[in-house]
Amino acid sequence: MKVCLVGNQNSGKTSLFNVLTGMNQKVGNWPGVTIDRKEGIIKSTDIQIIDLPGVYSLNPFTSEEKITRDFLLNEEYDVILNIIDSTSIERSLYLTTQLLDLNKNVVVALNMCDLLAKKGFHVHEDMLSKLLKVPVIKISALKNEGIDDLINAIKNQNNSYKSIKIFESDIENSIDKLSENIESNKRYNALKIIEDDTLYLKSEHPEAKEIIDNLYSRYQKRMDEVIADQRYNFIVKNKDKYFHADKDEETTSDKIDKVILNKYLAIPIFILIMALVYFLSVGLVGSFTVDGIDYLINLLKDSVENGLNSINAFPWLTSLICDGIITGVGAVLNFVPQLIILFICISVLETVGYMARISFFLDKVFRKFGLSGKSIIPFIVGSGCSVPGIMTTRTIENEKEKKTTIMLTPFIPCSAKLPIITLFTTFFFGSLAWLVSLSLYFLAIVIILLSAILLKKFYMKGESENYILELPEYKTPSFKYVSRDVIEKVWSFIKRAGSVIFICSILVWFLSSFSWTFTYGVPIEQSILASIGNILAYPFYPVIGELSWASTVSALLGLVAKEQVVSSMSVIAGLAETVEDGSLIFAQNGIFGFFTPLSAYSYMVFVLFSAPCIGAIGAMRREFKSLKTTFKAVAYQTLLAYILASLITGVGSLIMLFI
Amino acid sequence: MVITDLKLKQKAVISKINVKDQLLRRRMLDMGITTGTVVMVVKIAPLGDPLDISLRGYQLCLRKSELEQIECEVI
Repeated sequence: MKVCLVGNQNSGKTSLFNVLTGMNQKVGNWPGVTIDRKEGIIKSTDIQIIDLPGVYSLNPFTSEEKITRDFLLNEEYDVILNIIDSTSIERSLYLTTQLLDLNKNVVVALNMCDLLAKKGFHVHEDMLSKLLKVPVIKISALKNEGIDDLINAIKNQNNSYKSIKIFESDIENSIDKLSENIESNKRYNALKIIEDDTLYLKSEHPEAKEIIDNLYSRYQKRMDEVIADQRYNFIVKNKDKYFHADKDEETTSDKIDKVILNKYLAIPIFILIMALVYFLSVGLVGSFTVDGIDYLINLLKDSVENGLNSINAFPWLTSLICDGIITGVGAVLNFVPQLIILFICISVLETVGYMARISFFLDKVFRKFGLSGKSIIPFIVGSGCSVPGIMTTRTIENEKEKKTTIMLTPFIPCSAKLPIITLFTTFFFGSLAWLVSLSLYFLAIVIILLSAILLKKFYMKGESENYILELPEYKTPSFKYVSRDVIEKVWSFIKRAGSVIFICSILVWFLSSFSWTFTYGVPIEQSILASIGNILAYPFYPVIGELSWASTVSALLGLVAKEQVVSSMSVIAGLAETVEDGSLIFAQNGIFGFFTPLSAYSYMVFVLFSAPCIGAIGAMRREFKSLKTTFKAVAYQTLLAYILASLITGVGSLIMLFI
Repeated sequence: MVITDLKLKQKAVISKINVKDQLLRRRMLDMGITTGTVVMVVKIAPLGDPLDISLRGYQLCLRKSELEQIECEVI
């Protein structure tokens, strides 16, 4: 048996999917978290379930909504599980009336009834079931209630459903008449002909014109409006049968919004919240973790080294394990505590319902720059990781705003760039580290806004039009989901350290320990890596104002994963190390000893804003659906970073000369 | 008058939908913006645009440029 899960955006679809399957898909509190279909098996059954992106109707508006419509019309399945957000029941049932047109078995799950009851409203599921002639089950996806009843209702479905009459008789008669000459999805397609929905199909039906003309002369309105109107009428005129209201008063969300969306407070509150997130993850915890780097790595390295020496292992093997693997992977793993804090903050922001508000009050500003208020969601998600950030752009209706957002999301420093920021700022700026990190985030914002203007002027010409967003109710973040979400993200970071970073570290170790004649133990300046880096160091000279093969190669390896920059630097510094004093990476006489606060800053600017990692480039390509556009975007990012970093070094050193 | 002429918390009923862009028009209809629907402006973004309107028991944010295309009468 195959079930597909359909509902409005932000109706708790994915929460229900997770409860039913025991899986842990991403949930959030803004419309459009699910952007692609996901499949699973309902626990202790053999029922297959497919989670489809949220839709408001079967007339798709954005690319991810099209996925759902096309699935429902063209694929094979047995039951539609329609989840309804009881707190906006009219609009939710509108979708239900469209699903009923498909002539499939429908089971309705009434979600968030507890939230509704708090507001003083009640839904009578029995009456609603009688009205729609399908089973209606009250559930709470969050509290895991009513799930067994729901599974039983799904099991008991047999293909016997007949559409109920929703419209006035003349429309219903026209549907019947048109259906005779339609092959599949009869009722749905007949309605599309009546609506004259040219976006969906060009009608070649023989009787269509006459029927449409007749209906038009009766209603004197475009039929798409009449159909939408009658669907809502069907829902509203029966509402007192299934819906009961105790009282009508201002909701808690409205009260909170009076402060959060206050004319004068909204933007200061936003800045405060974002600053707090980065103060917590970069400033407070960051300094501790960096102190831990050298200590922990050295501790582990020394003991392993002693161990291996005592059993007379090959010197190259000892070096591979200690200087390559432990140093490279360890350098990255030290940032885990910091990432946990960042991921918790982002996860809470996502689930509480604040994201949609930020989008709402920043829309006007963003529109001036050719972006949509909805662009802020990819940006904030992107501060965790660009890949899901870029994917979230699918909820942006306008194609130009969407493309601009995809191109700009990688400029947001993601969690993998955090190790770079932390490493440099704590060493070179000490107690001002958090301020310098913050300046990089602000620089990111400035770059994004200026790039958006440039793109709007030269590349994505034209005005933006559409913006439709539903403001969700505020919710207390569920501890369960936040912790699962954070664990999953941290785990994927650790897995990356164990796979990609692991292999890369070995590679860096190999290339910097061997010469072209494959002789082991040559001075690092004669290694393969150094000879490659020495050539590349010339074009890289303006960025740091220094010919340094080691930092050139490290920056380049950031393409694999941005945290690899830190990992490569540790491996190279470790191999080149002659004197053991203080910091491992930035030791005075060491290979990276030339870094000054100025060149450290411009190096960070280059690494942060140039081409993102391969994963993010792949995500860009998927969303652009064009290799050429992707290439242009990456070239633009890299060129911009190069110019900016060179400017900082150039102008900065000039100023230094005069003071 | 159009929806953007409404004062905060003023109730009105939609009288005509003049949206030219067909995709947007469809979406508005699907979201329950049909003639005869009672609407109310409940929140205004701090910078004056977009607006948050309540209709059919839920809230929806739209830009002023979109709401200007919807005629309504105060009730």
